[in-house]
Amino acid sequence: MPILADLHNHSCLSPCGSLEMSPRLITSLARARGVSLLALTDHNSSLNCPAFAAACKAEGILPLFGMEATVMEELHVLCLFGSLDAALAFSAEWYNLLPLIPNDPSRLGDQVYVDEEENIIGEVEKYLGVAAEVYLDDLGPRVASYGGIVIPAHVDRPAFSMTSQLGFVVDGPWAALECVRLPSSVDTRGYPLTTSSDAHYPEHVGRRPFELDIDIGTLVPGAIPSGNSVDMRVLTEALNKRPRA
Amino acid sequence: MTVRSLAEALSCEIVQGEFEDSKVSGGYTSDLLSDVMAHAKTGDVLITIQSHKNTIAVAVLANLPAILICNSRPVPEDMIEAAKEEGIAILRTAETQFAVSGKLYALLKAGV
Repeated sequence: MPILADLHNHSCLSPCGSLEMSPRLITSLARARGVSLLALTDHNSSLNCPAFAAACKAEGILPLFGMEATVMEELHVLCLFGSLDAALAFSAEWYNLLPLIPNDPSRLGDQVYVDEEENIIGEVEKYLGVAAEVYLDDLGPRVASYGGIVIPAHVDRPAFSMTSQLGFVVDGPWAALECVRLPSSVDTRGYPLTTSSDAHYPEHVGRRPFELDIDIGTLVPGAIPSGNSVDMRVLTEALNKRPRA
Repeated sequence: MTVRSLAEALSCEIVQGEFEDSKVSGGYTSDLLSDVMAHAKTGDVLITIQSHKNTIAVAVLANLPAILICNSRPVPEDMIEAAKEEGIAILRTAETQFAVSGKLYALLKAGV
């Protein structure tokens, strides 16, 4: 039976995300809206993923951990990992590649991360709404070295997308392309397509999930070691079966 | 030259007019916001086609009094709202970044 997946969500860690958006709230709203595979993808940081892991466990949702990375060309790419540790290691490396522009919470928004009880445990110093010193072409291999997959975000949007920044969809190791709307208004060149909520506020959660034709049980690793919550190979195969137009 | 006198001199439409009419000390022309953050100077007008809300955050960071949108790009409502809140002017022209940059450069050079 197909499941509903939503692979693009922002929490209170994103400067543009609502302070209300704790991982716990996102998870409970997503579950109420029928989503069973959920990713947390804050801008350029995965620091809310530990709380997200606990919330997903409590709600019985399958989690993916990661971020919405901004590369030097100023376009957004979802980086998704089946392992919390891998996501946090990638996030730590990525943070060092961000320019040191301090955040000003009163003008640019809060960048806080929380524990599973929704207590604020820290604040990110660098402004996360910036591009890292990494080219798009180098992102896929970096993410793959941590066992993750990459999905260019909202490729049909007029800002921070592959089409807005590069003019068209370019070749790469994309597990899929995320569109705001299907059928897509841009040439997606035969890649499998998804939609996702890109939630920044509670009312956005679960607004644009997509169907993944897979039995949820097959996504859960049995023999896979190393604490992965999702078998990324099985996920990639399932994404590969998504519509391509 | 102030933001309003610039708008008049370059025949720009004032899309967001709730701002303090401060002095324009220079201009910066770029469509890559990270480049703007790194290189624009306080008092510069940003000449760009990046017509969206995030450009306001960049103007805030870099202390830019005005954003000049080229090629008659539509300006989304949330961008106008954010600019209003920050007191940043949004101007718009049908001309290209090249053309308005040249004109502004000449005006500032002439000490207008």
